[in-house]
Amino acid sequence: MKQFATYAPLNTLAERLKPIHLNQLFADNPQRFAQFHCQMPGAMLDFSKQKITAEVLDGLVAMAEEAQLKTWIDRLLSGDELNHTEGRKAWHTALRDLSHPLPEVQEQWQKMAFIVDEMHQRQLRGFSGKPITDVINIGVGGSDLGPLMITHALEMQKHPDSPDIHFVSTLDGRQLQSLLAKLNQETTLFIVASKSFTTIDTLSLAETAKSWMKQKCASPQSRMRHFIGISASPDKMKEWGILPQMQLAFWDWVGGRFSLWSSIGLTIALQLGMEGFKQMLAGAHAADVHFKNTPLHENIPALMGLIGIWNTNFLNLAGQAILPYDSRLKHFAGYLEQLEMESNGKHTRRNGDFVDYRTCPILWGEVGPNAQHAFYQLLHQGTERVMSDFILFKEGQGQDERALYHQNLNIANCLAQSRAMMVGQQSDDAHKHYPGDQVSSTLLMTRVDAYHLGMLVAFYEHKVFTQSVIWEINPFDQWGVELGKKIALSILESIDRHDAAHLDQSTQGILQQIWEHNR
Amino acid sequence: MNINVFGATVSALVTAACLAETGNQVTLIGQLPKEMVEPGLKKLLNKQLNLGTLIVSDKHQVDADFHIFSYGDGDCNQALELTEQLAQEAQEHSTLVIRSNFSVHIMRQIIATARMPILINPDFAPEGSAIQAFQRPDRIIIGATDGQAIKRFRRLMAPFNRFRDTIIQMSPESAILTKYATNVLIATRISLMNELALVAEQMHADIEEVRQGMGSDHRIGFSYLYPGVGFGGAYLERDLERVQALIDQTGSGENLLKAVHNINQQQKELLFRKLWSHYECNLEQKKVAIWGISYKPNTNSIEGAPSLVMIQALLHQGCELHLFDPKLDDLFQHWLSTQLLPEQAARVTLHSAMYDCLDQADALCVLTEWKAFWNPDFTQIRQRMRQPLILDGRNLYDKTDLLESGFVYYGVGR
Repeated sequence: MKQFATYAPLNTLAERLKPIHLNQLFADNPQRFAQFHCQMPGAMLDFSKQKITAEVLDGLVAMAEEAQLKTWIDRLLSGDELNHTEGRKAWHTALRDLSHPLPEVQEQWQKMAFIVDEMHQRQLRGFSGKPITDVINIGVGGSDLGPLMITHALEMQKHPDSPDIHFVSTLDGRQLQSLLAKLNQETTLFIVASKSFTTIDTLSLAETAKSWMKQKCASPQSRMRHFIGISASPDKMKEWGILPQMQLAFWDWVGGRFSLWSSIGLTIALQLGMEGFKQMLAGAHAADVHFKNTPLHENIPALMGLIGIWNTNFLNLAGQAILPYDSRLKHFAGYLEQLEMESNGKHTRRNGDFVDYRTCPILWGEVGPNAQHAFYQLLHQGTERVMSDFILFKEGQGQDERALYHQNLNIANCLAQSRAMMVGQQSDDAHKHYPGDQVSSTLLMTRVDAYHLGMLVAFYEHKVFTQSVIWEINPFDQWGVELGKKIALSILESIDRHDAAHLDQSTQGILQQIWEHNR
Repeated sequence: MNINVFGATVSALVTAACLAETGNQVTLIGQLPKEMVEPGLKKLLNKQLNLGTLIVSDKHQVDADFHIFSYGDGDCNQALELTEQLAQEAQEHSTLVIRSNFSVHIMRQIIATARMPILINPDFAPEGSAIQAFQRPDRIIIGATDGQAIKRFRRLMAPFNRFRDTIIQMSPESAILTKYATNVLIATRISLMNELALVAEQMHADIEEVRQGMGSDHRIGFSYLYPGVGFGGAYLERDLERVQALIDQTGSGENLLKAVHNINQQQKELLFRKLWSHYECNLEQKKVAIWGISYKPNTNSIEGAPSLVMIQALLHQGCELHLFDPKLDDLFQHWLSTQLLPEQAARVTLHSAMYDCLDQADALCVLTEWKAFWNPDFTQIRQRMRQPLILDGRNLYDKTDLLESGFVYYGVGR
């Protein structure tokens, strides 16, 4: 990034702008909102509360052009092998083009539709012949976060014949055990979702599920009626015993954190129906088309990415808060934590050199009204300078008087917080002094439904991609997560052998205390 | 007496015919169906039509002594319209008798509109023995407040009330609730027996023996204690929902009748579950024969019939079906063509002889206790089937005999 000719002028601009308060920028320019927002049907991004000027915007777009962002976007959308460290495409956008589907994608839609249809007609049966009523998704990371986030958000819009859907991910087994305690073997179906079908987190839970099924069902063939496998590795699924008609596929060109668009989204389809699932794909595809065809000055995801770069690399802001003002988006920040930090939390450039600039900021968040009573204190009066994304929906839930009151209260709070962070307040009492000048963007969308959620997620995917192009990193691998897995296996062996002698002192010390307690 | 009977139900036909037979002049405002399955009904109707004591017309007699509503539940709007018309032409001696089982809401609307004495006289006759139940009823319920109307109705029903006085007089509200309550108690007994049948299987008891033991207690009696593959017909399920809704309004949240309903839904799939477990969850391309489609013998009604649920379930698992029922008609054909996908309907074959559906079959399911099924030729059955597997949804057969003849046998609760 630093070698770009457009880098230095932006740096100069940043030094000039840093001391200028956001209030001043608004005072100087009555056209600020008109100038610094952009939209497409269903979504509007207001970035007028960012510390930018027209000059900055031009500079950022020029840098994107210098980095050949447009070419990269074309390569992404046409399925070029962009994940070069793993020798794969990153072609999740091909999963959501409803009018030009790949044959293999279409085949999986048909398989999903069959399962969804049988389930909704109460014809998907367990070993005793009773219809399945509960579905437990066993998966972690990308096989968990996306479907969890979407199904939680759209719970109120579920298909009348949707089964009850549950998610378990943690390898400690507690989530699973508490579900198994209240569910019935006869009517419970497990979805074992793992791209490699070797993830120990997922497979250890799946084995626990299998032995729970065994308590009530002796026939292995009948037992396997309770397991759907979703994986890019059909051989591994078969080896584990998943029946052929219960196998759903996706492919190595779909990254885990981009996989909710694939058959990994089965829980979404079970909850909403195939129609709802495809609405989500359509919303994401609309964002793809916008990302590809819209000039960078008006391109929502590209601008989200470029503004993030501006804040991180030029203004030196340290954190990114995600603040959805709709409690249905409870798991959205968690979802983005993986999407952004697993994609761009890297220090190596595509060419193998280490970077000499900051990349992905620490991202966290919470449903806005709750966060107001938690960490907003730090945003208003702390010493950290951070950037925030406010996410607001025009429509609330319901039309009655109370529902409208709550929605207005919600809108008022969202707008009040972003304004308070911006303008601050002077006071003679030092404890009541608010410096303001905290930057934020507001993404205003029509409503919480499958279509707009699809669009919202795709915006952030493309934001991440835009940033990766400027930072010159591969956002589609995740080598950073491997080391810990490897060490865990070796420590597990040490625990089995009850011998920690070769480990570091800290690890030894902790293990000794556990062993002594449990002796 | 001059009587109008309104409706095209079995109840309307039986009421019209029986009242015509006892010397009244009856006009049936409704249509005679082409086919009549109810035993004895066609003969009785034709006799009265020939005598001229019964006529079928689309116009009612304005000055009739009794206007009797025997509409089906679905025709409640027609009943309301007619009530308004009757109210306008109201004659001094006319009485409106409601034998239909409408919702409370509709009943109240009719009562509010009628402008003549009203008498609730619920029809308790089961389809299949409706004539006998009309002519020799367990009881005749009269829910009314008008003394003159009650007196006249007693006279009308006198021929059916000779052996002992079976008339029970009560308020209209009580009569409405009595009808509902009777149906839901019957349903509850059946569902309880079906639950007990599951327990019997689990603890190696025989529910048939248990039934004998229970039924002989005079506090319980033998009626409606048979376990089976669930009750069908339109009425019980509908009244379960109705009464559950009424119970809900009282604030009780116990859902007793919801449970009765759910148990029955589960029970309709009982034989499917046994078959499914028998073949370890793989019924793909299995040939399954089914005897009995109507929800009970001596009727062509398939409404709520367990067979329909079974057919759906088996087709979804890839079976090929061969069906026999003594009274299969347009009703079922219509169901096949509207409720199944063409690909599914293509896997259903109807047979006109009961043994023909057994060739190379992997299972025989008996769902309705038509007389013809009670003592079949098991040698022929054994020879024709590929797998000697019988699933007896009505406990018609002797388990020990069948096991000795080399069959695999599944009954209900044994």
